[in-house]
Amino acid sequence: MNPADLPPELAAQSTPLINAVRTIAQGPLAQQAYAIDRGAYPQDVLKQLAAAGAMSAHLPKTDGTPGDYGLAIAAMAEASKVCGATGFMMWCQSVAGLYMQASGNPALQGERLARHVRGDSLGGTGLSNPMKSFAQIEALLLKATPVAGGYRINGTLPWVSNLAADHYFGAIAAVTSDDAGSSREIMFMLRCDAPGVTLKACPEFSGMEGTGTFSVHCKDLFVGSDDLVADPAKPLIARIRGGFVLLQCGMAAGIVQGAIDSMWAVEGQLGHVNQYLEDRPADLQAELDALVARIMKLAETPFDTSTDYFINVLDARSHGAELCLRAANSALMHQGARGYLMHSEVQRRVREAQFVAIVTPAIKHLRKEMARLSAQEMPA
Amino acid sequence: MTAAADTLMPADAAWQLYICHACGYIYNEEEGDPDSGLLAGTRFADIPEDWACPLCGVTKSDFELYVAPDLSALKNSATCQASAHLSAPRSAPGIVVVGAGKAGWQLVQNLRAQLPDTPITLVTACAGDVYDKPLLSVAMARRIVPQALVKETGAEAAAHWQVRLLAHTQALHICTESRTLRTTRGPVPYAQLVLAHGAEAALPAPLRADLCWRINHLQAYQRFQAALGAQPQHVAIVGAGLIGSELANDLALGGHRVTLIDTQARPLARWPADQAGEPLLAAWSGLPIHFMGAVQLQDLQRQGAQYQLRTSDGQVVLADQVIAATGLVTPTRLARSAELDWHNGIAVDAQTLQTSVPHIYALGDCISVNGQSSRFIEPILRQAQTLTAALVCACQREAHLPDSAEQPCAQPYTVRDAVVRVKTTSLPLSLH
Repeated sequence: MNPADLPPELAAQSTPLINAVRTIAQGPLAQQAYAIDRGAYPQDVLKQLAAAGAMSAHLPKTDGTPGDYGLAIAAMAEASKVCGATGFMMWCQSVAGLYMQASGNPALQGERLARHVRGDSLGGTGLSNPMKSFAQIEALLLKATPVAGGYRINGTLPWVSNLAADHYFGAIAAVTSDDAGSSREIMFMLRCDAPGVTLKACPEFSGMEGTGTFSVHCKDLFVGSDDLVADPAKPLIARIRGGFVLLQCGMAAGIVQGAIDSMWAVEGQLGHVNQYLEDRPADLQAELDALVARIMKLAETPFDTSTDYFINVLDARSHGAELCLRAANSALMHQGARGYLMHSEVQRRVREAQFVAIVTPAIKHLRKEMARLSAQEMPA
Repeated sequence: MTAAADTLMPADAAWQLYICHACGYIYNEEEGDPDSGLLAGTRFADIPEDWACPLCGVTKSDFELYVAPDLSALKNSATCQASAHLSAPRSAPGIVVVGAGKAGWQLVQNLRAQLPDTPITLVTACAGDVYDKPLLSVAMARRIVPQALVKETGAEAAAHWQVRLLAHTQALHICTESRTLRTTRGPVPYAQLVLAHGAEAALPAPLRADLCWRINHLQAYQRFQAALGAQPQHVAIVGAGLIGSELANDLALGGHRVTLIDTQARPLARWPADQAGEPLLAAWSGLPIHFMGAVQLQDLQRQGAQYQLRTSDGQVVLADQVIAATGLVTPTRLARSAELDWHNGIAVDAQTLQTSVPHIYALGDCISVNGQSSRFIEPILRQAQTLTAALVCACQREAHLPDSAEQPCAQPYTVRDAVVRVKTTSLPLSLH
């Protein structure tokens, strides 16, 4: 196996898109990867990647051709191999596009979506809290009060990524009502520059600091029909949740491959001692190849709404996170002191792998949700 | 939120803790939050409304009073669980068995006799308690509390047979290339994997999981008993086969009124040679069992606190509870994940009970031999013997030991026509 290759299922995606992403990733992105980890937001690289089509391969084309989730995941893996933070922001931009496209709201489609797809405008997703809320892990933080022509939004979301003053993101709020028995949520695109919205810096994270991550305070933010993605939100979430989680697998696949490549890079000099380590590159590669084959199979039917399919997606995502942790850690063991240098990509990848394991849905959330979905339903 | 109460608190009241809903940060009144200008000793009620969580930035309204659980109690309970779970080292893969029903535990017992030192892990969605499933129905007649059916708890049995028990754990996916079973409690490596997860109730439309009970395991029995309560109820049972007829018999003896519904004109019609239906109905004549034969259930829905069943010929039944006894199907998730051959169940070789994939075996209700599945107890005992012989050989092969002379490698399993004993106490039956 050529150590520079991605798993066969990904390498097979040798399309013009993947070639373009590779050129950007191994050129300008590679030069900035350390700076991004320490806090530089790579707006130019993201716009280049978007312009190349790297964050819209999963969306249906204007001529009606269905989107290609496998290609979108492969593009994300190609960038994540070099910089996990950028791979994560590609996911943010990709799912923001998915919300707008799936909304069926003409005001969010058309030129607004086209600008998003071209990378003229950038956005993210604030669904960490709602996803945990739907999995019965925590309560919804944003509240929506019906008013003439729309809703008034109040509350604070922690940790929303790929944001800047003129960005936007998909959000979900619980509709307040006098009727205690009913529960309904709305989903909308929240514009960071709208009156009533304040972005606040987060405390310093151990890595991935250049991801444009803020807490977002909403004080009487008005949301009108032009920004509504879904009302009620749950039917749309049920339709896109599989694709939403599946796309994250691109990050894991790239980070694991990057780790494996850095093991091979020292095999010549250090193979005589590295042979005593567990999680050797060939073993990890075999496991990654099988996982990617599973992910690519799942990517053929991203809108399958069955519970069984969703459990498969959650388990593949969980496996990706577990493999990230093992591969990044093993790469550090393989490289030794040189991998422990602060500027080493091997060191940075350990933090990226930890991020994949703790970002929503974290490994523990995935397992709890799979247990919940597997439990036999009985009469109340 | 208890802000109003706090303001009325005397100044020397105990310091309180408040937890952030979003990130879990805990505000301790005693310590304050000096970085954002809240001096030590600042009461939560006195914090300005625009104060933000120092960790995630949400506001004061997303905090609520937090009472820390007793840490020593938590540690104690964690230690008890750990000792039940970790009686074998996590690193040795050994034999992994999925399912802690009759098949799983029977196999564990046989294996332990032959392989005293091989690590065995038992992965099960339930608690792993040992009980006799056929007694679930009898227990209804005698109104036995569910826990009384447990002969040994899962933790006790695990200690007894020296197995690592992963209880309340869902098996999700088999990675054949790395020989790993993926579960909701993390990946479990295996040298040999045994599927003993059984079958689950089939629910043909219009039956729905949230509307009808399937009394297929102890937990379901427990929940059903709780739903029945102390008063006599009207229970509709859909399906008058073996399980449906036994349940009807036993619920009626337990004081409940039963309506038993089947598409066939008589109960137990699957065994036509025995002609058992007519005598059974006669034996039931003194019991509150109403049999509705030769009808198709067309609609089932909630009607207030009750359930309304409507048949294709227009009859309507209102029942307090509905039980589905409409046959069993084998779950496909694990078999599909490993691409196991499937033929009315997980196809296994009768010589060894190995599936089509190396290192994966199966026994019990989930298997089929030459396309024939069996859902009875008797074959499980013989299957466990066959499988034990095969696994002993597999372990010897893995350890590069020559096959032991006393232990023949193959102890083939043969499919026999089962004689089924029906525990309808009103008229005990044997079906052929």
